[in-house]
Amino acid sequence: MEGSLAARAKGEHFHTVTPLLESWALSQVAGTTVLLKCENVQPTGSFKIRGIGHFCQEVARKGCRHLVCASGGNAGMAAAYSARKLGIPVTIVLPEGTSLQVVRRLQGQGAEVQLTGKVWDEANLRAQELAKRDGWENVSPFNHPLIWEGHASLVQELKAELGTPPGAVVLSVGGGGLLAGVSAGLAEVGWQHVPIIAMETQGAHCFNAAVQAGRLVTLPDITSVARSLGAKTVVARALECTKEFEIFSEVVEDAEAVSAVQRFLDDERMLVEPACGASLAAIYSGLLQRLQAEGCLRPSLAPVVVIVCGGNSIDSRQLQALRAQLGQS
Amino acid sequence: MEGSLAARAKGEHFHTVTPLLESWALSQVAGTTVLLKCENVQPTGSFKIRGIGHFCQEVARKGCRHLVCASAFFPSFRTHGRGNAGMAAAYSARKLGIPVTIVLPEGTSLQVVRRLQGQGAEVQLTGKVWDEANLRAQELAKRDGWENVSPFNHPLIWEGHASLVQELKAELGTPPGAVVLSVGGGGLLAGVSAGLAEVGWQHVPIIAMETQGAHCFNAAVQAGRLVTLPDITSVARSLGAKTVVARALECTKEFEIFSEVVEDAEAVSAVQRFLDDERMLVEPACGASLAAIYSGLLQRLQAEGCLRPSLAPVVVIVCGGNSIDSRQLQALRAQLGQS
Repeated sequence: MEGSLAARAKGEHFHTVTPLLESWALSQVAGTTVLLKCENVQPTGSFKIRGIGHFCQEVARKGCRHLVCASGGNAGMAAAYSARKLGIPVTIVLPEGTSLQVVRRLQGQGAEVQLTGKVWDEANLRAQELAKRDGWENVSPFNHPLIWEGHASLVQELKAELGTPPGAVVLSVGGGGLLAGVSAGLAEVGWQHVPIIAMETQGAHCFNAAVQAGRLVTLPDITSVARSLGAKTVVARALECTKEFEIFSEVVEDAEAVSAVQRFLDDERMLVEPACGASLAAIYSGLLQRLQAEGCLRPSLAPVVVIVCGGNSIDSRQLQALRAQLGQS
Repeated sequence: MEGSLAARAKGEHFHTVTPLLESWALSQVAGTTVLLKCENVQPTGSFKIRGIGHFCQEVARKGCRHLVCASAFFPSFRTHGRGNAGMAAAYSARKLGIPVTIVLPEGTSLQVVRRLQGQGAEVQLTGKVWDEANLRAQELAKRDGWENVSPFNHPLIWEGHASLVQELKAELGTPPGAVVLSVGGGGLLAGVSAGLAEVGWQHVPIIAMETQGAHCFNAAVQAGRLVTLPDITSVARSLGAKTVVARALECTKEFEIFSEVVEDAEAVSAVQRFLDDERMLVEPACGASLAAIYSGLLQRLQAEGCLRPSLAPVVVIVCGGNSIDSRQLQALRAQLGQS
């Protein structure tokens, strides 16, 4: 058992090569071929396992004996899963008042869960405290070069599958980890000229705020329903990327993101979080065509890849509640 | 272009290697690790591309110049399954660069016709039900260079489906505790059985699920011979074959197959639970397999001594299917008194 775990820690990665599926429905709407990179069918339900799995493998290789993470969401699930695969303990620190279901699910992955503080920032402080212990490492949800390096594997897969560059890559921006990772991947495979359409929701738009200001901006609060995009400050690396890559920063309303989630469920039979809906809204809201009309994208576009980032925190009842909240049902 | 198409026709298959995901939620319900083989994320939305893609590649290799396939889509109430097969055939033809004619019953929705045409298929509408469309397809297939694509009844199709088990072998190494799958015409059952034999896993139990009213396999197992149902009365339209393929019945003598039937209500309830547990929307036909977990069937088979009390991970084949959206699911649930 020890041998195979060690081998796994060295060699195999924890994420899977995900399907790249042509979406007839979204292609009809866009007027261009739309390909879906299905990160929602990763183990742990989102792309996070790429970067966080890679990070955890690397720190374990260098002697880490205990992981800690202040996230109960997609990053926490990825950290818990990685720890289980590596056979090392992990402590997830979350605010008091975190739902029992989230706690149980993480414990089901073998994680120890500590509840502390009223908001995420306090839990995060606690996680950083614990990480000072000898042999402990804190797993950031998005802010580490190893995480971006891990996410870049997504683009390696696109290269292997497509051969030729896509017309654009559409992705959602929370803390900016995916953006940093995809940018790194594009550079690795010689696709640095492929435009990235970086989507956020109004009220969780820290990247767009930084792009507008020309410097990092900290939002006072997250007011979007797309909780998984809820970083108040984007990582510095994401802002740097705007100087090295062709990135279009776009913001949609919550209503567009949630509407996109519903349409996508009916078109492609996959239920994703509103954070992911922000990317789908780039298609459904006609953003592609707008960018083409503005001369930002070619009128005749090679297939566009939409990263279906996924996410665990959604079910049909939550979707209905969101739609009702936004006056959509 | 010609070269790469020919190369593709020879070498690459049209299906993808699908994810095998551990389901925390279903494992909790089952009391055993449950792994999901996600065929719903195949191109064309179901496992059908495995067998039908393989069939089309082989006949093209041997000189077929025009494919024909009788299909049927929903929500035309009087029609039975085969929609997923038609999509797989149209996709395969497009990849091969050869023409395909899809024959559908009159009254098929314009959206479906347009979608198939969007895949490059020629569409002919004829007859009231799939059986009549199928007769027309068989007529057309008599033409020189034409081949009819059966939705499930051909050894090449079963051979193609067997690739699913090859992938399980590569991923797991050791045999699963059981494989759970849905039975419509029996093509998937025949293919999975073939695959198990290929990889030396012929002792792995298969739990073959159907819905009441589309249970042609179970009827055959009970009778000890092929049985033709008078009609399909289940809402699981994609399971709607009136007679199972003979090969499926033969398999019961060579493999350990448990034939189980669930009510429509269980299948539809399973679809809803699975949507909430794993965020994937599947047809009721697929819900029949998920019901094996959600309805406690695994534990029942363990209690009866049919399955081991301590079971290796169980693989549920999430067969997928195109003919479902949230409105249809709500309508089905309302119809069955679930909402």
